[in-house]
Amino acid sequence: MIEIVNLHKYFGQTHVLKGVNLQVNKGDVVVVVGPSGSGKSTLLRCINRLEEVQEGEIRIGGENILSKTADVYRIRCEVGMVFQQFNLFPHMNALHNVTLGPTVTKKMPRRDAEALATELLRKVGLSGREHSFPSELSGGQQQRVAIARALAMEPAVMLFDEATSALDPELVGEVLSVMKQLALEGMTMIVVTHLMGFAREVANHVVFMDDGLIVEDGTPKGIFENPKTDRAAAFFSKIL
Amino acid sequence: MQNLINKFHEFLPSLIKGTQYTIEITVLGIILSTIFGFVFSQALLSKRKLINRPVRILINVVRGTPLLVQMFYVYFVLPDLGITLGALEAAVLSLSICYGAYHAEIFRAGIMSIPLGQWEAATSLGLKHHQILRRIVLPQAARIILPPLGTSCIILLKDSSLASVITVRELTRSGQLIASTTFENLTVYSMVALIYILLTQLLALLVHSMERKYRLK
Ligand SMILES: Nc1ncnc2c1ncn2[C@@H]1O[C@H](COP(=O)(O)OP(=O)(O)OP(=O)(O)O)[C@@H](O)[C@H]1O
Ligand SMILES: [Mg+2]
Repeated sequence: MIEIVNLHKYFGQTHVLKGVNLQVNKGDVVVVVGPSGSGKSTLLRCINRLEEVQEGEIRIGGENILSKTADVYRIRCEVGMVFQQFNLFPHMNALHNVTLGPTVTKKMPRRDAEALATELLRKVGLSGREHSFPSELSGGQQQRVAIARALAMEPAVMLFDEATSALDPELVGEVLSVMKQLALEGMTMIVVTHLMGFAREVANHVVFMDDGLIVEDGTPKGIFENPKTDRAAAFFSKIL
Repeated sequence: MQNLINKFHEFLPSLIKGTQYTIEITVLGIILSTIFGFVFSQALLSKRKLINRPVRILINVVRGTPLLVQMFYVYFVLPDLGITLGALEAAVLSLSICYGAYHAEIFRAGIMSIPLGQWEAATSLGLKHHQILRRIVLPQAARIILPPLGTSCIILLKDSSLASVITVRELTRSGQLIASTTFENLTVYSMVALIYILLTQLLALLVHSMERKYRLK
C-alpha cells in the first residue's frame, strides 16, 4: 500500500535520509525505532510531504506522491499525522479542532462534520469534552483529540511521531490504548516510538533506522531477539 | 465664564469641520496602512529574495525619514513625475505608506510568534497557506498584533495633524486658522487638544474591545 523506494533527503548539505526502502501493506502496524538523529521523524514527514524530497519515490496506493503533478493537498488528506507536541489549535475547542480539516479541505457540511467529530471524540474516550479548549485538557486528552483530528480526514494511513514522548508516564497508557484499538480495527499505521512493549504487542513489522538508513527490517520477535547488526543489538540492549 | 462659552460656540463649528477631515484621514489611513502592512509583512516573510528585498528596502527608507518629509515628497515631488494628488489624497497616501511600514513589522513579529507546529498540523490536514493564515495563525497572532497595532493607529491619528502643513484643513489647521485671526490661542488650542483626546480615547476603546475578542480561553 505504501512503497518507499530509494528515498534521499538533504537539509542543505546534510544528507539525512540516504536511500530508504520500505514496504508497508494495508493493515500493517510498522514501528520505526532507532537512535536520536537517525532520521525517523524526517522519514514520516516526507510521507505527507511536510519535507521536500530530493530523490526517490513514495507510492501510496500506486500513485507516486512525489511526482510534480501529484496533488499535495489531497495526498495530505490520505495521510493522518500525530505529533509529539500534539499541536492542537489553542483557539478552538476540541470539536472545532476535529471539524476543521473536513469542513475546510473536504468541504463537508458543518453538521456532518460535527456528527463525525462527536463520534470520533467518543471513540477516543472524550465524550462530553467536545467544548473544552486544549488548555482545559490534560496532555493525554489533548493527544487523543489530535488523533481524532487526524482520523477525521479518513486517512488511508496514520503516522505517529513519538506520540507519547511528551506525556507524563501515567498518561501514556490512555493514548497507547487508543492506538492499539486503531490497530485492531485494521488501520495502517507507521509509529515512531521508544516503547518496545508497544512494538512487541501491537506491531507486525519493525524497522530499525541508523544514520539515515533502514538497517533492520522484520518482525518484532525477529528484530528484538536476533538483530543482525551490532548497532541494533547495542541499541536494544540499552533500551529493552 | 459666559464669554468663554460664547467663544466656544463661535469656534466649535469650524473645529468640527476640521475634525471631520481628521477622522476621514485617520480612518482611511488606518484601513490602508493595515492593508499595506499585511501585504508588506507577507513579502517580508517570503523566502524569495526578489519579493522580500525590495519591501525590506522600502521599509528601511520609510523608517529612516520623517513623515513630514514623506508628505512633502508625495505632495510636491510626485507632480514633477506626472502624479498629481490633492492635498488630502497626498496626506492619506503618505500616512498609509509610512504606517504600512510600521504595521508590516508588527504583523511579521505576530505571525512569527506562532509556533511552527501550528503550521505543520494545519498543513497535514490538507489546508492551503492562505487558509492556515486566516483560520489558524492570524486568530492566534491577533492577541500579539492588536496592542502594538492599536498604539500605532493612535499615533497615526495624531500624525494626521501633519497634513495641516500641506494645506489640508483638518483639526490642527482649523485651529491654527482661528487662532491666527482671533488671537485666542489658549482657548482654541485647548479645544483642539480636547478633541484629539476625545478621538484617541474612542480609538483606544475600539482597540480594547477588539483585543478582548481575541483573548484566549
Ligand atoms: N529542519 C532541519 N534542518 C536541518 N537539519 C535537520 C532538520 N530537521 C532534522 N534535521 C537533521 O536531520 C537528522 C535527522 O533528524 P530527525 O529529526 O529525523 O531524527 P529522529 O530520528 O527523529 O531523532 P529523534 O529520535 O531525536 O526525534 C538530524 O541530524 C537532524 O539534525
Ligand atoms: Mg524525531
